[in-house]
Amino acid sequence: MKFTVNWLKQYLDFNLTPAGLAAILTRLGLEVEAVERLYPGLEGIMVAQVRSVARHPNADKLSLCEVQVGPESRRVVCGAPNVRAGMLVPIALPGCRMPSGMEIKRSKIRGEVSEGMLCSAAELGLAADADGLMELPDTCVCGDTLIAALGLDDTLIEVDITPNRADCASLIGIAREVAGATGVSLKPPVSASGPLNPENSPFRVEVRAPEACPRYAACLLTNVTVGPSPWWLKRLLMAVGMRPINNVVDITNFVMLEYGQPLHAFDFSTLAGGGIVVREAEADEMITTLDGVERRLSAGTLLICDQARPIAVAGVMGGQNSEVSASTREVLLESAYFNPIGIRRASRELNLSSEAAYRFERGVDPGGTINALERAAGLIERWCGASRVKGGVDQQAKTPAPSVVILRVSRAVSRLGIELIPSEVAGLLAGIGIESETVDHDTLRARVPSFRVDLEREIDLIEEIARLKGYDQIPATVPLIPMSLAGRDPSRVLRDRLAAILIAQGCFEAINYSFISPLAAERLGLPESDQRLRQLAILNPLADDQAVMRTTLLPGLLENLRHNLNRQAREVSLFEIGKVFWPVAGEAQPKEPLRLGAVFSGRLGVGAPVFHYGERLVDLYDVKGIAETIFFQLGIEASFVAPEPPPYVEPGGCLQAVLGNGREIGQLGRFNRETLRRFGIKQPVLFLDFDLESLLKVEPAAKTFIPLSRFPSVTRDLAVVVPEEVGAGLVVDSILSGSFPLVSRVEIFDVYRGQPVEDGFKSVALSITYHSDEQTLDDRVVAREQGRIVEMLGSRFSARLREE
Amino acid sequence: MEDELLRLRREALEGFAAASDLSTLEDCRVRYLGRKGLLSAAMRGLGQASEADRPRLGKLANEVKVKLEAALDGRRAELGSQETGRRSQAVPPLDLTLPGRAIPFGRPHPVSQVMAEICGIFERLGFAVAEGPDVELDFYNFEGLNIPPHHPARDMHDTFYVSDGVLLRTHTSPMQVRAMQRQSPPLRMIAPGKVYRCDSDLTHTPMFHQVEGFLVDRQVSFADLKGVLSLFIAQVFSPKTAIRFRPSFFPFTEPSAEVDIACVICGGKGCRVCKQTGWLEILGAGLIDPAVFEKVGYDPELYSGFAFGLGVERITMLKYGITDIRLFYENDLRFLGQF
Repeated sequence: MKFTVNWLKQYLDFNLTPAGLAAILTRLGLEVEAVERLYPGLEGIMVAQVRSVARHPNADKLSLCEVQVGPESRRVVCGAPNVRAGMLVPIALPGCRMPSGMEIKRSKIRGEVSEGMLCSAAELGLAADADGLMELPDTCVCGDTLIAALGLDDTLIEVDITPNRADCASLIGIAREVAGATGVSLKPPVSASGPLNPENSPFRVEVRAPEACPRYAACLLTNVTVGPSPWWLKRLLMAVGMRPINNVVDITNFVMLEYGQPLHAFDFSTLAGGGIVVREAEADEMITTLDGVERRLSAGTLLICDQARPIAVAGVMGGQNSEVSASTREVLLESAYFNPIGIRRASRELNLSSEAAYRFERGVDPGGTINALERAAGLIERWCGASRVKGGVDQQAKTPAPSVVILRVSRAVSRLGIELIPSEVAGLLAGIGIESETVDHDTLRARVPSFRVDLEREIDLIEEIARLKGYDQIPATVPLIPMSLAGRDPSRVLRDRLAAILIAQGCFEAINYSFISPLAAERLGLPESDQRLRQLAILNPLADDQAVMRTTLLPGLLENLRHNLNRQAREVSLFEIGKVFWPVAGEAQPKEPLRLGAVFSGRLGVGAPVFHYGERLVDLYDVKGIAETIFFQLGIEASFVAPEPPPYVEPGGCLQAVLGNGREIGQLGRFNRETLRRFGIKQPVLFLDFDLESLLKVEPAAKTFIPLSRFPSVTRDLAVVVPEEVGAGLVVDSILSGSFPLVSRVEIFDVYRGQPVEDGFKSVALSITYHSDEQTLDDRVVAREQGRIVEMLGSRFSARLREE
Repeated sequence: MEDELLRLRREALEGFAAASDLSTLEDCRVRYLGRKGLLSAAMRGLGQASEADRPRLGKLANEVKVKLEAALDGRRAELGSQETGRRSQAVPPLDLTLPGRAIPFGRPHPVSQVMAEICGIFERLGFAVAEGPDVELDFYNFEGLNIPPHHPARDMHDTFYVSDGVLLRTHTSPMQVRAMQRQSPPLRMIAPGKVYRCDSDLTHTPMFHQVEGFLVDRQVSFADLKGVLSLFIAQVFSPKTAIRFRPSFFPFTEPSAEVDIACVICGGKGCRVCKQTGWLEILGAGLIDPAVFEKVGYDPELYSGFAFGLGVERITMLKYGITDIRLFYENDLRFLGQF
């Protein structure tokens, strides 16, 4: 809502600077969005009177003018076609700067001296466009500054109106708030109008939808002269960003801004049957609205009609067929109260918003219908030469009962945490038009005026008290509340721990949007059967690449990786912990399991010193190491198996992590080139993709103290030759499987292929640590145990001892 | 016998002096002073000396032994220091200006860091943490919060829908309703999480993070809300940060407030960031509307409470002077590495 300070002063005598006014409004909850000096740069412009006009001797389209500016007379060259002797015009004298920044100088134009420039409204920033000089009204005095002459010393204020404060979408509403805060009294131009007398009405109104239109009032004006609005009216409308149209329409807009009551003016001569019918539309009825758009209506949209056809979409926009035009002589003026929900629905369905709909859908003052109608009728009489046909129509389904709210002062005290007494409360409320009477020492009966549609309950009044008292007057205390121990959400604990582990492994955390491109899953090459292709679609996405809820974290991370590689990153380690979304058949909401994803590319370790770490690229063992670190840190027993490889991995480059109970935790591996190409990446990338729900279900093993051994351990090396397909890790696992109780640790220190080991075989060198809790092991015992190991490896893997 | 001892002394001293390294010196020691060395042999021979000579010779032998041992120690020290010197010439000294050997830690996302800080402050005040679904039902996002269909307040939320009545939550406030349905007062809870609105520009992304907080008990007042939020702001910004509460409107709180802090850029003098007002809006709050209590079956006569909601990106941007919110979701390492 925009207004100017001088305009507001019409309803309230106050003496505040614009900044002071803005501070009061903000304190009241009318958030000030902007405070702007209007008409900047007009300080040097004066009022001049043209004395004589002669043709420029050297130019057809220019005139040579003699103008008077106060006591001085000046010669000015002018190119405007409308210049004539006697007119009052704005002049920019040499040395003055125009709003555009141009400096006016004494100059010669085609050989003739020009001592200034006569201005158009557009050049002064007072109108969007103009043909010719701005002709000033004869109330202006030659030699005055233009600012003084036109009352341009004004400031625009824009406030953000919260949806509950429909009453403040009006000058009088805002003035009432300021009145309440400053104690100055409000002077509305029209208040407490009597009822309209329907007896002489030359038109009829029939309301067939009283639920949607509880009140409809109208009156008729004849002998209307439609023309441009007076300057004061144009200026105010333009200042708040409204385009002047003609005097009748401008007055309805002006009164809407004053009272918050939208009005509509119909050309009475165009109404078939000379009356109004208010009814709901049938499906597919058509109307061309004032903006020139032909619109198809859905059933139930409230219409204003004449006896034959729709002439307006009620409360939203008028129809072209009944528009007030230059030839209009009789105006039917409408002021009504429409059901807010109906207007909102119509405005939504038609995708048509208007100043009128904005106010109706928030709720206008059902008791202010006639005041606004009287005000507008009076202005049309005054400024359009019209005569008012006495009486009019005021169709009201039923007079609403005045709203009464019981307020306990003690309740206000306890809710707000401040001291209050009933007389103070009554005084605060009276300041904004809420009268109250005392019921008992603690209770007030408050009568809520009809314009405050938002005040229905005790708590609503308590908010008013807080607002009027000032939030800054409420102290800051801390609540007393019984102690309780809040449990920690295991999912949050797990996420925090995982993040800490990955960060300690050199990974940076990424956060991506939960929605991705529907094509992202396809880029992973997933088969038809893959659950990740069943994505939850957003009905109204902002962009194609944000159209479905993600079912995997990998596309987002690959996108981040590409972004970083394109910006010369040499090493990238990124992880994300977040939800994915699985639609569930028959359920309104999807499952939202948490996952951990990570991608790695380039050198090992972001920022690891090359001097120490060289140029080694990250590989699958690095990622496996991170996975193992996670399991170790979380105290989880997990193992790795080779899975059925997903379509986006390199053959033989994928591992699946599984829990002891066989439940899958997730996968890690190396993307294949084809997949990376689809994501625009040209270098090797490794990934990790874990399901946190499976980790959450694991009970970490209980920790029990094992006494420290008193006996030393013995280490022996062993090298065995095994067929190529036997994994070194399996050799180790077989030794640690429990058959060899003296073995406490097995370390692989070399895997060797080549001479003298024959093709198809490899040598695996192990360092085995033996230990007993009961004795110091002697050589014979160790040799016997190692012999049994060699025997086992021989029968299980066809392993043989490697000859020296 | 005496000559024998003196000769041994002379030869041994010559031998020690001639030894050019520690191992030669050790050979020399074994030869003269070892258990089976020449001096031991000579001393064993003392038994054959005459009764009269024996004490004198014994004394002499002892003097020789002490003398040789002292000489040996001296020479050993000499050679030892020479060898250390030689070795240290062979191994170059450490260049302590070279970098240490470590793979540097990564970093949490700045939004996560600030989120953790915010949650930490409220957890220290005794608030529990709870999270809800991102894909939410209309009831929890709107109706349960006193925002019926066709309410103009819905204009404040540009909502993404996935089906009729199912949407991406536009705020974390639905957790108020979910928590109150599950639990009876007293209740202190925060609900952090992702929220979604159809909006995208320099200061808006279609997804962002909020922390919702609420406290319900008997006799909770607006003054309590001011107190708790003042403690929070003093922690997350500075105890000197000026705070302003001003009236506003949310359908699920009454009275409602917007909370501003003195502009962290200009200190309240007025600048581009605070649009010359000197204040920055950082959160919305209020007393929980009795209509919300009625929806969840709490008696509004008996209970009152406050709720607040804050944008994590907004606070992060203000803390670090970040000017473009979209940077949070590009995940550029040059950005992530700064926090």
